[in-house]
Amino acid sequence: MMTILKTMIVTSLRDKITLFYSIIFPIGLLIGLGYYFNNDAYTPKLLTGVIALSSLFWGVSGIAFQVHGQRSRGVYQLLKLTPFPVIGFIFLMTAARTILGIVINLVVLFTGTLFFNVAINLGQVLALLGMMFIGILCFTCLGFLISNFAHNEGQISIISNLLFMPMIFGTDTFYSLHSAPGWVVKMGELFPLGYYVHGLRSALGTSNMSFTGSVMILVIFTFVLLLLSAVTFNQEGKGQIRLKKVMRNPDHVA
Amino acid sequence: MPDILIQAKGLKKQYDSRNVVNGVSITVHEKEILAIIGPNGAGKSTTIEMMLGIRKQDEGEVGYWVHDYRKSIGAQLQATPFFPGLTAIENLNLFAAFYKRKLPKQKAVELLTLCGLSEVVKTEASKLSGGQQKRLAIAVALVHDPKVVFLDEPTSALDPKSRREIHQLILDLNRKGTTVVFTSHDMDEVTKLSYRVIMIDQGMVIAEGTVKALCQKHGVQNLEELYLQLTMGEN
Repeated sequence: MMTILKTMIVTSLRDKITLFYSIIFPIGLLIGLGYYFNNDAYTPKLLTGVIALSSLFWGVSGIAFQVHGQRSRGVYQLLKLTPFPVIGFIFLMTAARTILGIVINLVVLFTGTLFFNVAINLGQVLALLGMMFIGILCFTCLGFLISNFAHNEGQISIISNLLFMPMIFGTDTFYSLHSAPGWVVKMGELFPLGYYVHGLRSALGTSNMSFTGSVMILVIFTFVLLLLSAVTFNQEGKGQIRLKKVMRNPDHVA
Repeated sequence: MPDILIQAKGLKKQYDSRNVVNGVSITVHEKEILAIIGPNGAGKSTTIEMMLGIRKQDEGEVGYWVHDYRKSIGAQLQATPFFPGLTAIENLNLFAAFYKRKLPKQKAVELLTLCGLSEVVKTEASKLSGGQQKRLAIAVALVHDPKVVFLDEPTSALDPKSRREIHQLILDLNRKGTTVVFTSHDMDEVTKLSYRVIMIDQGMVIAEGTVKALCQKHGVQNLEELYLQLTMGEN
């Protein structure tokens, strides 16, 4: 088990593109925007927004590409021949990515406290850790789901971007939605990112929304996404083909 | 007759109402080298996948000599399964872990050397050439010292030297007591390596026996002639 977990951590750490989007890009964004706005009231919001963005990229894109790569190379098919259960492997891969995701988030958090003097006590750090755990898990499940429907890497990018847009622009991750049209706000509420951001801010004491409420909503999102991922999971990446077949032949549905 | 290790009876598989495998029965005996041959799309790979238990048959059954056969069967499928981002030796260690085995470094290097990969032990698997990836897949199939190993077109797309090395590997494995089941389109290779041949066409077994016995029975000089006679005759 430990060998598999360690190897999964190693393979995730060698994914340079995802690491760039999860560490370098968020830290660059944090420092750039932080110095540009130079506003003590906005800094904690920016910090939590950047942590959320890092979690989103790490959780969704990272796992989606990783699962797609393994599936298209027939890894899951061969895994079926070993005594090790595929579900056990997926669990370990998710665990490895969640652990790494939390470490990455802590690096972003540390950068924020270092550059912008954001004061955080131990209780807040523990609350943030809990929120990071459930948030990354939730986004990882979403990444799994995307990989089940995408037929190739291009489709993973398209589907991810289609989901990222309403999540980033329909929530107050980086800016207030006070003047935004109602439908934009409603659209953002359909996705987990906004609740995650509010959970992180509650942990830091900068949001009116309840910490427990955010956790509960994210747990529900995680459960639903996990269920959908499990139902649509296939070893050979033919989820989309199957959908097309069903659509072409309505008798299948009946 | 040696003991029977695997017995597949009446295997059937349909894709989109097309019979890909249509009542195939195959028996694998201990310590033999069995070749499964047939044209592209004949149903060889699907049959192997059903025998391995990684694809569910629509009809028929497969029996194994032990209850938990997965610990004792290795397979190199047509896809080259490896984990992107990991080196050849790391991939080997990971697959060993799936069999709950800890592979000492020396043994891992020996196995890679046996498969002609001694110079790329620490090379990222995705950067290996097609032939090297195929050999890595064979090394992965052998990582747990299986009693039976299935090799699906192990020498396709390999250069003559690599092909010869794989032939030697198959013979060495068999000499040590491993049963080998392989598919191939190279009739010389099949003649050279196999004890027994099963020819499949259009999802059905159309010939079975030793190369010599089959050639005598059909009055042909070699396996290639027999293959052409049986597979083209039906079209």
